[in-house]
Parts: sequence; structure tokens; C-alpha cells
Amino acid sequence: MAGAPDLLFALRNNFYIGAFQAAINSADVQNLSEDDAIERDCLVYRSYIALGSYQLVINEIDSSAATPLQAVKLLALYLLSADNKETVISSIREWLGDAAIGNNPILRLIAGIIFMHEQDYNEVLKYTNAGGTMELNALNVQVFLKMHRSDYAEKQLRVMQQIDEDHTLTQLATAWLNLAVGGSKIQEAYLIFQDFSEKYQMTSLILNGKAVCCMHMGNFDEAESFLLEALNKDAKDPETLANLVVCCLHLGKPSSRFLSQLKLSHPEHMLVKRVSTAEENFDRAVQTV
Amino acid sequence: MLTKFETKSNRVKGLSFHSKRPWILASLHSGVIQLWDYRMGTLIDRFEEHDGPVRGVNFHKSQPLFVSGGDDYKIKVWNYKLHRCLFTLLGHLDYIRTVQFHHESPWIVSASDDQTIRIWNWQSRTCISVLTGHNHYVMCALFHPKEDLVVSASLDQTVRVWDIGVLRKKSVSPADDILRLGQMNTDFFGGVDAVVKYVLEGHDRGVNWASFHPTLPLIVSGADDRQIKIWRMNDSKAWEVDTLRGHMNNVSSVLFHSRQDIIVSNSEDKSIRVWDATKRTALQTFRREHDRFWILCCHPEMNLLAAGHDSGMIVFKLERERPAFSVSNNSLYYVKDRFLQLYEYSTQKDTQIIPIRRPGSATLNQGPKTLSYSPTENAVLICSDVDGGSYELYIIPKDSFNKGDTVHEAKRGVGGSAVFVARNRFAVLEKSTNQVLVKNLKNEIVKKSALPIVTDAIFYAGTGNLLCKAEDRVIIFDLQQRMILGDLQASFVRYVVWSSDMETVALLSKHSIIIADKRLVHRCTLHETIRVKSGSWDDNGVFIYTTLTHIKYCLPNGDCGIIKTVDVPVYITKISGNNIFCLDRDGKNRSIVIDATEYLFKLSLLKKRYDHVMSMIRNSELCGQAMIAYLQQKGFPEVALHFVKDERTRFNLALESGNIQIAVASAKEIDEKDHWYKLGVEALRQGNSGIVEYAYQRTKNFERLSFLYLITGNLDKLSKMMKIAEVKNDVMGQFHNALYLGDVKERVKILENAGHLPLAYVTAKTHGLNDIAEGLADKLERNVPVLPSGRSHSLLIPPTPVLCGGDWPLLRVMKGIFEGGLDSVGRDAPEEYEDAADADWGEDLDIVDVENIQNGDVSMVSENDEAHEENEEGGWDLEDLELPVDVETPRATTARSSVFVAPTPGMPVSQIWVQKSSLAGEHAAAGNFDTAMRLLNRQLGIKNFKPLKSFFLDLHTGSHTHLPTFPSSPIISLAIERGWSESASPNVRNPPALVFSFSQLEDKLKAGYKATTAGKFTEALRVFMSILHTIPLIVVETRREVDEVKELVIIVKEYVLGLQMELKRREVKDDPVRQLELAAYFTHCNLQLPHLRLALVNAMSLCFKAGNLITASNFARRLLEANPAEAHAQKARSVIQAAERNMRDAIQLNYDFRNPFVVCGATYVSIYRGQKDVLCPYCGSHFVVSQEGEICAVCNLSVVGSDASGLLCSPAQIR
Repeated sequence: MAGAPDLLFALRNNFYIGAFQAAINSADVQNLSEDDAIERDCLVYRSYIALGSYQLVINEIDSSAATPLQAVKLLALYLLSADNKETVISSIREWLGDAAIGNNPILRLIAGIIFMHEQDYNEVLKYTNAGGTMELNALNVQVFLKMHRSDYAEKQLRVMQQIDEDHTLTQLATAWLNLAVGGSKIQEAYLIFQDFSEKYQMTSLILNGKAVCCMHMGNFDEAESFLLEALNKDAKDPETLANLVVCCLHLGKPSSRFLSQLKLSHPEHMLVKRVSTAEENFDRAVQTV
Repeated sequence: MLTKFETKSNRVKGLSFHSKRPWILASLHSGVIQLWDYRMGTLIDRFEEHDGPVRGVNFHKSQPLFVSGGDDYKIKVWNYKLHRCLFTLLGHLDYIRTVQFHHESPWIVSASDDQTIRIWNWQSRTCISVLTGHNHYVMCALFHPKEDLVVSASLDQTVRVWDIGVLRKKSVSPADDILRLGQMNTDFFGGVDAVVKYVLEGHDRGVNWASFHPTLPLIVSGADDRQIKIWRMNDSKAWEVDTLRGHMNNVSSVLFHSRQDIIVSNSEDKSIRVWDATKRTALQTFRREHDRFWILCCHPEMNLLAAGHDSGMIVFKLERERPAFSVSNNSLYYVKDRFLQLYEYSTQKDTQIIPIRRPGSATLNQGPKTLSYSPTENAVLICSDVDGGSYELYIIPKDSFNKGDTVHEAKRGVGGSAVFVARNRFAVLEKSTNQVLVKNLKNEIVKKSALPIVTDAIFYAGTGNLLCKAEDRVIIFDLQQRMILGDLQASFVRYVVWSSDMETVALLSKHSIIIADKRLVHRCTLHETIRVKSGSWDDNGVFIYTTLTHIKYCLPNGDCGIIKTVDVPVYITKISGNNIFCLDRDGKNRSIVIDATEYLFKLSLLKKRYDHVMSMIRNSELCGQAMIAYLQQKGFPEVALHFVKDERTRFNLALESGNIQIAVASAKEIDEKDHWYKLGVEALRQGNSGIVEYAYQRTKNFERLSFLYLITGNLDKLSKMMKIAEVKNDVMGQFHNALYLGDVKERVKILENAGHLPLAYVTAKTHGLNDIAEGLADKLERNVPVLPSGRSHSLLIPPTPVLCGGDWPLLRVMKGIFEGGLDSVGRDAPEEYEDAADADWGEDLDIVDVENIQNGDVSMVSENDEAHEENEEGGWDLEDLELPVDVETPRATTARSSVFVAPTPGMPVSQIWVQKSSLAGEHAAAGNFDTAMRLLNRQLGIKNFKPLKSFFLDLHTGSHTHLPTFPSSPIISLAIERGWSESASPNVRNPPALVFSFSQLEDKLKAGYKATTAGKFTEALRVFMSILHTIPLIVVETRREVDEVKELVIIVKEYVLGLQMELKRREVKDDPVRQLELAAYFTHCNLQLPHLRLALVNAMSLCFKAGNLITASNFARRLLEANPAEAHAQKARSVIQAAERNMRDAIQLNYDFRNPFVVCGATYVSIYRGQKDVLCPYCGSHFVVSQEGEICAVCNLSVVGSDASGLLCSPAQIR
């Protein structure tokens, strides 16, 4: 474990806690080995993707770039428009089948993310379950949670804890799991986000995490203050808006503006979909009664 | 052993601590007595009058005296203030071994090789008793600290205890002593006045030292047989208790420690040994290489010891006295004895929390050294030197306050130091490998990290960071990044104090304080001659610290000063406002109130918060030379100005700060030539010619004044000056002025008047004033000087001023806060000059503009430069290498190839909700709208769901939160559950937390009432309807609440019905009968009293107007019962009166108030008792039979007359 300083630590960490611009800014690291340089570029491009600059990523990564970067480009293509989905999926399947590159952890990770968007969790696990990097492990935890299998998530998390209990991803994954299982664990999740907010810069990811914990503890007033703080940082963050909708509903405050904001900026967001399917459901149900 | 001070000198034979001051006397084998300050480490004085070795020395407890005895047989009493020997006591016939003052009587006891012990009265300077009996050298004789006893040790192998009680009785007056001297001599061998009480025999060789226990009847002695013996005595006898063996050579000195239950001895075997006085076992040995020990001495009040050896002496402490503590928010955790204590600053309450392990008595100095606390986990780490450095981890149970004596199970480990680095992680320093082990609260190693420098100790430095201390530097090390974040040269740092915002840190070492920021960038260093003990940050960023003797402050710029003197060392724990909280050496919490004005003042100055400065100047008595000097030195003469009353100082300060106006005011007060002159100089420098003029005027300095007028072009004044000169008969001045003015005629006149006729002639002639020249020539009787020819001449006329103005253009300076604030404090500055200061030149600011332009140019140029550079860099970019495509090493091949079967998806929480619940609201939240509707239909007969749509959607939308997770991957949505508590067990699913609550409905109800009162019926109706529509989806906990909900349905239903009727009434304006009926029915809805009153007033006036007086009077009566406002009551009474006069109804109404009835919710007709009606299964409204099967017109939800099981809104109803 001990040894050379971890040069990419700041970059990686900023990326995980959602401080994407800071991650991009901290990418200027000297004396990187080749592998580290590729990792650095991947993280930078993924940060751009997270910021929504898909086209930039697609333009900058040319066909001669390394496999991981190509995988990142695929992700950008996938997220850019629904039209690309099929081609992206077919090419990623093809690459995964290629023995030379099929095992690349970043390729597998990207595949996992894409299939997660496709809600094909079995397919995700096919590529990610073996783990290999902290990111893959964290993704596994997330998939298990999405499948409502917190028992599996816990097992995966234990693997992560054995590797590095204090790793940011381990901590984050612990918080996810704690929130998913609920009860007294929510407090622990809150403490993790609290630790983050003390240690690192405040991001809307951290603030949303805190707010979600507060909401689950029934403390909607405090949650609202966190969410408004997050809204101040980024007025368009979809999760902030979505959680504000939920929070305002519980506080009996008007929520429709946040919802329409969300509908405009992120028509694909889970909450938007949820509302529209609910409306359909309602109408259908009215017919049947 | 903690050595506090060490000297190098000749062999030290005698030592004595001063009881109050940090002084120690050392008498040397060379005959010198040294007086040392052991805190400052300086030699204060030397006393050299003894001839040969001085073996005994002793301070007086309260007087400025000490006594010494030497090999010259002399006992000398000295006054250290006068730096001289007061007198010498003669009598002993051989070397004197020890001397000692009595603690209260004016006595000295001395032991000598002449085999006697003598007691002297130092006031009468006589020997009052000679104690004989020893038959060899007496090596030591000491008074008992309380009783009238003396113990002596002799080479005759005995220890003797003497009773000197007789002496006290005899020495009533000093005169007696002289009388008794003769008597004593006769009794020389009789020994009547002081008798041997006990002779203690047991040592096999000569005894070197014997001393009493401070409180118990015990004696300890050390002898040449290398043994230490403990003796006990009672009133009648004394006996040997035990023997301590261990010294390898003659024991020179031995004593009981005054505060701890230990015996300390030293010996010619070059060691000091510490023994347990109760268990009588050896605890510790401190050895020196080459020096034999000769003397040992204990401080009378403090926990200090001193030992003299062959080449000097040492002052030392056996155990650390600093309590281990840690501050967390508003509380202090510290160790006292064997308990962990909690002190709350707000309440000043001290609580014992848990017992901790008692420090092992096997060795000394094993007590807790540092304490680290994690507030969230309520865990405490206590480090000590046990086993060469170890820690103990206690987790404080939440309910254990004040509980029991049982020692809690502690997790232990070995390590140099241990601190919490995160909520549930602590770092332990492993010195052998120079690694840090990060452990969790189970004491398991989570991570290991090698440290980049050889580290002695680690301290907290923010979450995840460690401050590592090496001998000559400190670094901040990030445990996760394994990177050094900051590095600073700082030798022997002992303590680290972070400010509460973790932005600044103070590194305390023995004699210096270094202040640095969180990246260890050096800010300032302070040096202290006296040992630095502790420190803490106050809220303003001032570091307050203690030395052994003082509380001091240090400003962010390194300025420091004394706040207060302390009599005993204290350890600051927290500062809040003017209160300093600290722990003393006994582990007691104290709060010291300080006057923070001085440092806050300086801080405000430093931070340029002049408004604070001003208010402090106004409100407090901050004054004194020191402050003025500080201000001047720091470049704030303008501030200093405000402190000074003395005009001369004021004047000087005003000049220094360039404040002309104050200077003028002061100069006026002083009115001395010298000051005016100085003022003139300064004003001239500033170009304030008005003041210059004034100053010259005051000093009557006409030459300067004229010249000033000349250069400012003030010709009027210049000519005035000429006249003044004329009046004053100052020819020279007059001439000068004329010259300045270029006034030739005047010049000629002056010259003429002065009798310089030839000069006048020449002047006149030269300038072509021929007629005057002629006149003059006449006067000169044609004896005219010849003008040089061939030269042209011109009149030297001073250039005419382009503009004549008072002052130079003065830069318009923003009035500083001080000048503004000064007006009230300061003097009345003369207004005329203020006017003058605002220059006549109008366009003052031009200069500034020019500067701006210039600056602009410069920046443009530099921008261009930058652009060039960028371009060049751009050129390099192209040559970046393209990375070769990397061939990935397959890492997880084996793992992947093994068959993996993905788990089947689990059940979402919302599905669990649906399975568990039969409450419609919960089904709706889960998104199962159809089942929810079915439930509602069954329970309440609801058929019309349209109005409920938004409520259903809100419930569903608000049931899940959204957790952002891995970047770019889909978020996780999490179900919000109801009734969360800290102790809820995980993985147990609770029903959903709904967005609607009963309390919200109550608020809505109030809003509805308010709207009704205000007459906003449509608004009110909307609110009541929304309540009615929410209730089917609400969930409450208890049965009582269920009843409340059901009540609420009834209340709201009545309002809805009433308001619907009222609105209907307004629609049917053209039908008076219907109007009256509806108004009447409205009064029969179950309304709140104020609303009922309003309805009644309304119905009353309508009926009265329509001529239905009987009905109206009925309403009036009901109104009077309802306790109305006076105006309404008046009206009601007059209505009744009118009705009594004329009992009739103009219109026949379907309204019989004598017969009980209900109103149909759809048709609004009265249904009298006994008539058939149907009900709404939900809201319970009544309807005429024809409405059966329709949707209820009141709640707009249920089918009137349908079967339903009733409102189900709580799990309590199901259980």
C-alpha cells in the first residue's frame, strides 16, 4: 500500500464526489507514467461527459486513442442522442468479445454504465461482476442496489472495504447501501456525507446525499436548506431539482416550478418519467374502476 | 525524569529552593554560593565570602535572607536583596555540614563535625542551644516541618531525634537568650534544654542524611552502608520499619517527596533513585556517567527537585503535570486521576464519565500524555508512555455518565502516539518502522502508510491528514494521497494548536511559538525566554498562550504582549470572549477573565477595521505611553493622535501624520515660534499656502511672507506687505517688496527716502523715469553718477502669475474614518482653513485620469506580450506525442471466465408497501393506483376519482428520493419511509412517508376559516374542498387521530355545503324567496361562532329588508345568543323591537326554524326530521332520495347512497 505518492488522487477524488470542473482543473499533473496518463485522460473526458459536453469528448478522442479512451467516447456517443444507442451497443459488444481488449476495466465499466442505462442488469453484471477496480466494484454495488439486492451489495462492499476501507468510492458505496437498507444506517450515511463535506469541496452530489439522508430521517426542513444550497451551486442539476420536488411536496410547499424546470432541462429524468407513467397509470386505473 | 535546568560548576554540596520565586541557591565546594533563576536559566548572583567549601545553604521562607555554613566553621546570614552578608555566627569548632532556618521561630539549626548540633537565634544573633550526644561528625540536622523536633544523622551510625520544645518556652524574649548563654555554657554537658528523644540504631556505617516525612511520623535515613532505612515513631518510641537496598555506594541524601508517596535518594554511586514509600520497592533509577551525587533538595511548594553532583546540579521533575485534554465544541474531555472527565463550558459543569486504567505504579511518568476525542463516535484515545509508548481506546457508552467504578474494557495497542484522523479512524505512529497505522474503532489495522520523514510524534491536521513532527521540521501528510501537503522548519515542536476553522496552526515548542497556515506556510515566529505551556485561538484569530508565568497574546502579524500574570502554570483549553478556560496542574477547571481590549484594539488596527478602532477609542480607557509608542511605531500616528491630550505631543503626531488642521489647532494652543515654524515647513511641503501664510503671519516672519506672496503671485498682499514694511520703518523689507512688485517708482522713492540719492537717481534714470531723475539730479546738485553705457537694460519684473490661487492643487483624499470621527473627539479645527484646503483649482482629479491612461497603456502592452507568448506555446502543442495504443494486460481473465450467475432482482420497497398495507394513501404512494382506487371505492364508495388525480400523483412523486451515484450512471431512487428513529433496525421496511399529513390539513383548515371570515367564499370553498379530497389518502397513527380525522370530515363538509349555498344564493339574485331560504339554511350549517354570526347578520338583514320580520327576529335572537359585536347587537335588538310591533312574514319560505331539519347537499332544500333521505358514504351529507346513485355534490367523490365500509386511515384501525 505504502509507496509512491498517488499523483492522480485529487483528480480521481474530485471526479467521484462530483466536482467535475475541479477534476478537470486538477488534471495538470507532471511526470505521469503512461498508464496513469491514460487514466488521467479517461477521468478528464468522463468529467466532461458528466458536465454534459458530449460533443467535445467525441471530437477530441480520435480513432488512434487507446482502448479506454475509445470506450469513453462510446459513452459520450451513447448519451449524446438516442439514435446512437444501437450502434454503440453493438460496437461495445463487439469489443467486449475481443480477447485482446475485452478485459480492459474501463471498457467493462463503460459497458456496465451503458447497460445500466438500458436497465439490463444481468448484462451489466456479466461484465462487471468480476470487479478488478474500485470503480467496477462500486458499480456492482449500485447495480445490486438497483436490483433491490442489498445482500449482494453488502458482499460486494465488503470486498471493497478489504481493499481500501477509506477509499472515497468505498465510503460512497457504503453510504448508498446504508441509505438503501435504511433504519439506523441512515445516520451513518449522513456521517459519511458530512465527512465529505468537511474534507472536500461542497458539490451538489454531497449536498444531495446529505439532503436525501435528512429526508429519510424525516427532517425535511434541513433537507430543503441543503437542496437550496445545491441549487445555488448549480441551478440545473437534475437530482437537486428532483429532490426539491419531493422535499417541497413533503413540506406542503408548491413544487410545480421545480418539476417543470426539470421537465424542460432533463426530459429523460427518472422523476419526469415517473410522473408521466403515473399519470398514464391513473388514467388507466380510472377507466377500470 | 524531566530535567528543567542544569548547571555546570564546581561540586555542589548544598542546595535550597526559594519558596516563591523561581530561584535556587547552590553552595559549591569552591566556596562560592550561586543564586540561579532556574526558569530563565540565568545566574543572578554570586556570594563569595566563605573560605573553603560551603556545605549547607538554606533560604528563609519569608524574609529576604539565606543562611550558609562552611568549612571555615562560620555560619553566615545573608540578605540577597542587599547582596551582602549581614552577620556571621561563630561557635562551631569544625566543618559545618548543614544549616536550616526554622519555619516560624527565628532559629537556625546547624550540624557540625565538632559532633554538636547548635540552634541559633538569628535575631539576637546568639546560639541558644547546643545539642550534644553524637560521638562522631554530625552530617545533617533538620527541623521537623511542624513539631518541635530535630532529626540528626551522624557518622556514629545513629540517627537521633531531639525534642526542642523547651527552647520555645524559654525563648519568650530575646533578652532571655543572652542570659541563658551563660547558663547554657554551664550546662554544656548537661543538655537540659534540648533532649534526645530517640536514638535510632540500625545502620552499620555512618549515616549521612535523615529527614522527616512532611505529615506522617516517619523518618528516612541514608548511610554509608548503602542502605536507606525508614523509621516510624510515636509518642514514646521509635523503631525501624524497613530497609531499601539498591544503592551501590554511600547514600548521600534521602527524602520523602512532598506531594507523592515516594522516597527519593541519591548517592555517590552516581544515581538518583525513586522508591515507592508504601510498597518500599524501587521504582526508577536515573544515572549519570561521571558525577557522584551529594545533595538532594525538594521545593517546598512545587513539584520540583534539585540534586547537586560533582560538576554542577540539576533541577528536575519526576512526573509531567500537564493534564491530558481535548476540546470538542463546547466541552472539554480530560483525565484527572483515574477518571475521564467532561467539562461543559456553557454550564461550567464537571462530570466524571468513565474510570480509566490506573497508571501503573511500577514506574513513574506513565500517566496519560495526550488525549484525542472523536465526537461522533464518542470515543477517546489516551496515549501514555507505558511500554515505551502505547494507547488505549475507550468508547464511552451513551448512558454511562456517573456510573460505577468498573473500568471499561479498553482496546490497547503500542505506538508512539495515536490520534483520531477521521470520525472512526485513528492513526498510530509505529516508530520502529516509521509507519503510520490507520485503525478503525475495533482496533483493527485498516491501512499502513510509510512516513516520508523520521517522525517522533503525530498530531491531527484535519480529516485524513497528519501533522508529523521530526526533530527539526514538521510536515502535513495526506494519508490518502500519501503526499506532503506542507513542510516547515521547526525544531522540537511539542504541542500543536489548530484554530477552530482549521486555517491556522500554532506550533509550540519549549521557548518558541510558530504560527503557520494550514499548508504550513510560515506566518510568524515568537521567542519566549520563559517556557511556553499552552495556547488556544480566540474567535478573532488571536492566539492566546500561557507561559509558566504569564498569559500572553500573539496577533496574526506576530505582535505579542502580556495580558495577565498568573501565579501558577495553567493550560488554556478554550477562549470565549473575555473568558479564558484553563486547567491547572491539579486538573481543576478554572476560568480567568481577561481584559481583551488591548489586543482587540491592535487587531482591529491590523485588520484596518477603523470603525472598531474608533469605537474602542471612544468607549474605553485605552491610554498610555506604551500604546502611543506602539501606534507610532506601527505607522498609525493619526490614531495615536486621539489618545493624546498634551498639545505638544499632539502637534508632533499631527505633523507626523500630515494632519495640518489638528496641527494648526495645536499650534494655536501652544503659540510658540518654533511650532509655528515647523507648521509652516509642513504646510509648505504639502503645498497648503494658506496655512503657510498663517504660520508666517503668526511668527511675523515678513521676509518669508513676502517671498511666499511673490511665488504665489499674490500681488495685492505683496503691496500690503510693502506698506507694512513702510509702517514698520523697515527700509530693506520695503525695498524688497518693491523689487518683487517691479514698482520702480516706489523703489526710487524708498532709495530717496533712505538717503541713497545716487542709487535712486541711477534707478530712475535706468528705467527711464526722467522727470524723477531730473528731480533727483537737482537734489544731488548735478553730481550724478555716470551710467555705464553700451548696455541695454530691462526692468526685472517678476513674471505675472497666470493664476493667483491660495493653495497648490491638493489631491482629494478620502476622509479617513479617523478624521471623520475626530470632529467629535478632536478640537474645533478653524474653518477658514478647511475652506482653503478645498483648492480653488477645481480640476483636481485630472492627474488621476492621466495615470489611468498610462496604466491602461501599460496593461495593453503586457497583454500583447502575453498573446505572443501564448501563440508560441500554441506552436509547441502540435508536437505533442500521440500515445501509442496500449496493449492491456488481461487482469481479471480468470475471474471473468468463471461462471457467474446474476442474482434475481429483489422486491422493490414500494411493492412491500402494497403487500403490507390496506390504506389507500400507501397504495397510491407506491404507485399502485388501481388498488388504491379499489380500496377507496370499497371503503368510501368513491367513484369519481378525477378530483383526486393531483393528490395521487403528489403522493407517488413524493415517495422516493433521488440519490446521485456513480458519475454518468443512472441514479438510485430510494423509498422514504415513515417513522424513522435512530434505533430503527436496518432492512426492516416501514410504510411510506406520505406527503400529506394531518397537521397540514389543520393548517389548511385555519386558512379556510380565514378566507371565510374575509368573505372570500370561492377561495374558502377551494381550500375546504382540497381538505375533503386529501382526507381519503391520509394516514395517521393512532385511533384518537382517526377520530379527529373523522371529525374534520364533518366540519369541512358543513362548510363546503354552507359555502356552496352561499355562492348559489348570490347567483339567484332575481329569486328573493330562494335567496332568503338559502341564507336561512346557511345559518343552520355547523359553523364556527364568528362565521355563524356573520351568516346570521346576513340572513337577518335580508329577511328584515324583505319584510319577513318574524324570521328576522328569530335570526336576531340567535345572533344575540351568539355574543355578537356591539354594533350587530344593537341592530339585532332594533330588529326584534320592529318585529314585535309588526309580527308578520311578507314572503312564505320553505323554512321552519322550529322544526329540526337538514339541508340536501344537491338541491339545497330542507329535509325535516322524519322525511326520508340518503347519505353520502364519505362526507355524510344528506340528500333527498332522488339523488341516490349520483355523485355526492358536496365532496364530489362518492356515490350517494352506496355501500361502504367507512374511512380507513390508520394501521391502528386494522390491528
